[in-house]
Amino acid sequence: MRWIQLDRAKREPARQGCGALLVALALVWAMPASADTAAPASIKYPVAPEGAHAGKDVAQPIEFPHDIHTAVNKINCLYCHTYARRSKVAGIPPTSKCMGCHSVIATDKPRIKQLTEYWEKKQPVPWKKVHDVPDFVHFTHEKHLKKFIFDNDELVQNLSVDTVAPVCAACHGDLRTMTVAKKIKPMTMGWCVSCHEKNGGPGDCWACHK
Amino acid sequence: MMNLKLKRREFLQLMGWSTAGATLAGCDLPTTVTLEEGKEEVVAYLSPEEYVIPGVGVWYASTCLQCAAGCGIHGRVREGRALKLEGNPDSPVNRGKLCQMGQSGVQTHYNPDRLSKPQLRKDGKLVDISWDEAWKVLDEKVGAAAKTSGARVAWFTGTVSGHQAALIGEHLDALGSRHHFVHEVINNAVGRAVNQDVLGEAMPRLALDQAKLVLSFGADFLGTWVSPTHFATEYAKFRSGTRGVLVVAEPKMSLTGANADLWLAVRPGTEGMLALGIAHALMQSGVSVPDAARPAVAAYAPVKAAEITGISAQRIEQVAALLKQHSPSLVLAGATVEGQEQGYQAASAVMLLNVMLGNVGQTIVSSGEFPFPQLRPRTGNTRDLVAFAAAAKDKALDVAFFYGTNPVYTAPASLGLAEGLQNIPFKVVLTQFPDETAAQADLVLPVASSLEDWGTHVAAYQPEQGVITFQQPLMEGLYPGTPGVGDALLKLLKMREAQKYGAFNDYFSYLQNAVASLPEQYKASGLTNKQLWEQTLQKGLLTVDSAPGSLKTNVGEITLHEVKADAEYPLHLIPSPRLGLWDGRHANIPWLQEAPDQISKVVWDSWAELHPSTAARLGVREGDVVEITSAHGAIKVKVYVFKGVHPDAIAVPLGQGHEGYGRYANGIGANPLKILSPAIEARTGELALYGTRVKATRTGVHEELVKEGRNNISQRSRKLVVTISAEQFRRTEGV
Repeated sequence: MRWIQLDRAKREPARQGCGALLVALALVWAMPASADTAAPASIKYPVAPEGAHAGKDVAQPIEFPHDIHTAVNKINCLYCHTYARRSKVAGIPPTSKCMGCHSVIATDKPRIKQLTEYWEKKQPVPWKKVHDVPDFVHFTHEKHLKKFIFDNDELVQNLSVDTVAPVCAACHGDLRTMTVAKKIKPMTMGWCVSCHEKNGGPGDCWACHK
Repeated sequence: MMNLKLKRREFLQLMGWSTAGATLAGCDLPTTVTLEEGKEEVVAYLSPEEYVIPGVGVWYASTCLQCAAGCGIHGRVREGRALKLEGNPDSPVNRGKLCQMGQSGVQTHYNPDRLSKPQLRKDGKLVDISWDEAWKVLDEKVGAAAKTSGARVAWFTGTVSGHQAALIGEHLDALGSRHHFVHEVINNAVGRAVNQDVLGEAMPRLALDQAKLVLSFGADFLGTWVSPTHFATEYAKFRSGTRGVLVVAEPKMSLTGANADLWLAVRPGTEGMLALGIAHALMQSGVSVPDAARPAVAAYAPVKAAEITGISAQRIEQVAALLKQHSPSLVLAGATVEGQEQGYQAASAVMLLNVMLGNVGQTIVSSGEFPFPQLRPRTGNTRDLVAFAAAAKDKALDVAFFYGTNPVYTAPASLGLAEGLQNIPFKVVLTQFPDETAAQADLVLPVASSLEDWGTHVAAYQPEQGVITFQQPLMEGLYPGTPGVGDALLKLLKMREAQKYGAFNDYFSYLQNAVASLPEQYKASGLTNKQLWEQTLQKGLLTVDSAPGSLKTNVGEITLHEVKADAEYPLHLIPSPRLGLWDGRHANIPWLQEAPDQISKVVWDSWAELHPSTAARLGVREGDVVEITSAHGAIKVKVYVFKGVHPDAIAVPLGQGHEGYGRYANGIGANPLKILSPAIEARTGELALYGTRVKATRTGVHEELVKEGRNNISQRSRKLVVTISAEQFRRTEGV
């Protein structure tokens, strides 16, 4: 079945495919293993709102190690969650992206074997959702990333997992220290509003409730 | 469900405080949507399509099929799911707007009552069968009929147009039958007949925005008449700038009537006399009357018209003066005028005003000849319903196909259609939903929803240049194997004429071929067939050359008879259409049940509108249940007391009273169509939908009439206020 796209639809060029493997390998090997985990002190970050949430441990079908990917191998958050800069959702990376690296890397590890099994059966991994906001809240990653990452010149000049992760951490906690994600921030309206107040975000109802 | 000694009002007031709401949890249905971690799955693509970005929608152009107006739509698709419909700005019909019925297209599409498997009647019961078996049975039964009595095969449809209509015609031709019955309850068939006879065109263009005054006799152009979304935008133009004057004369206030500057409660069935009274007043002030109509106009001096219609002579003269003062004007006749035994004559009297005032050629202009006759709309009416019921009763049919209409629900009981259907040995119903007609079928074929299907459509009312609108799937079908309507038709045709149709794999390729074989003038600037096809789908429509002709003004003789009073049945029944449930086809859409009626604000129910004086005479107040009895049956509905209805009338909205139309429609309210008399409009053979006399009697039962905007705290057994457990609240809200 063939559908014709309207010209008013957004059409982003695809930035993945067979090139992904090379990029991934380059990323893994180009990073010095002993890089400093702290971001340069001069970069301005959002003033994180106070408040914590005692999230529960969510068992995932595969215990995905965020720490190995980010803290050890220095892969930028946005390499996998590539939709975050273009969409309201950050997106779980498609299995094809995982396999871009893991068809050659760490293929003997049990979790990778599990992943390969899903891939060969052509089944997506049924990840459990950890972070969510109600349907009447229009949160968008795109705008938050624009403000705190891409409009932040100093950060852009020093773009790496260690400069980006503190931005993500404001809402998600520091994934460099976690395996699977865990909700450790409240994500309530009051909490959102306090961050908007501290960082000059919009204060009108329509910004989020439309 | 709830074991607390709280009145519902107190319960809901407590709900206002969210923490209190949380403490009451545990007494509600399980929550299916949650923010709690680890409860829902988030499934990523295996390998994403090139252009898919999760969370970012893509819009496709298509055509709305919720009524026959033919509005263009844009559908937002995200992650393979159609989520939102809006109007297509390129469509001359709706110019980017979309009414509530169109918006609700997604609830038709995702309706949980949709059929997913074909059903065959075995031992008196409909049982699920495979698609292979369904096609085999069809081939055998229709094949047998084709050999012996192809002429006894019939199609009974709603308004159809475009290539689907052409294929239905081809199927009947292949069988040697001429029986295509086209039925709509909400139609303007009598008006079309008058237009054809007087103007020479059944549906000329109406330049509402050019008129300085619109006088509508029951034509609810903002709600249910012809092309409501189009006229609503034209109405906005009519009212802006130098504000146009709107005068509405009708026995029951419609949405259009509620917007009028002057609203006249005319006695039911006397609109024609009112029009002649106004014509008489115009004649007295020097406006010339066509010769043929002169005797009729002369017979209704304002004083006489006032006596008959209940509108005072001064008012009649005032309207005539307004018409003279505001030129050009536009005078319209709607269903309350047409749906009478002398509906044609009355609508002719209304058209006479346009001729006298010189509106023809100014606000009523030719729409030209649509260049592809095979694609022209087959517009629905009630004459075909009457004819079909008679044919069934006379055992004149062996096989009947039903599509896009539910006649067992819409036919008045007095037509005996349900009994007549027993005489048709093989009845095939193509439908998305189980409905009253499907319940009588021998074979039920589920078809794709309009958001999953291909098609071309030609609107009966073409506001500007003629267009063919295209319908394309917004998403994959929810039920694999379910064919589109065009695909089902092609399959039927292949069974009869394998040679002619064998080349087309599916309806998609048939339509592609149709576009490729358009005359050369449509392929301007060196477009390839592929480019033309893609450009057409992208825009959602194809503009055709329909050279405008010129309209005639052939006014004939007008003969109106007195409307006699009926002592036993003193009230006129008005089965009023609503933008929402329409003729009942949308009663299974929760959004439209929940959307309050534009006038009474009632939701999820039927009601009977009574004038306060009539209600007082009957001794009833709002919420009292009355029994409405005609010579052909009775229904029970709650009373709504309202000044916007003539004291001699009782108005019951269409759409409710379903018995087999799924979980949202069944068992709500009553269907006024059931008790209509089989009276016929004399000239056109249409059912006189507004010609039934009834009486209303109190039953002594009182129930609450549920309306929007009242202190109504009923949850109606549904989760209007959602609750969650305190534990869950703490977890998700981080307290």
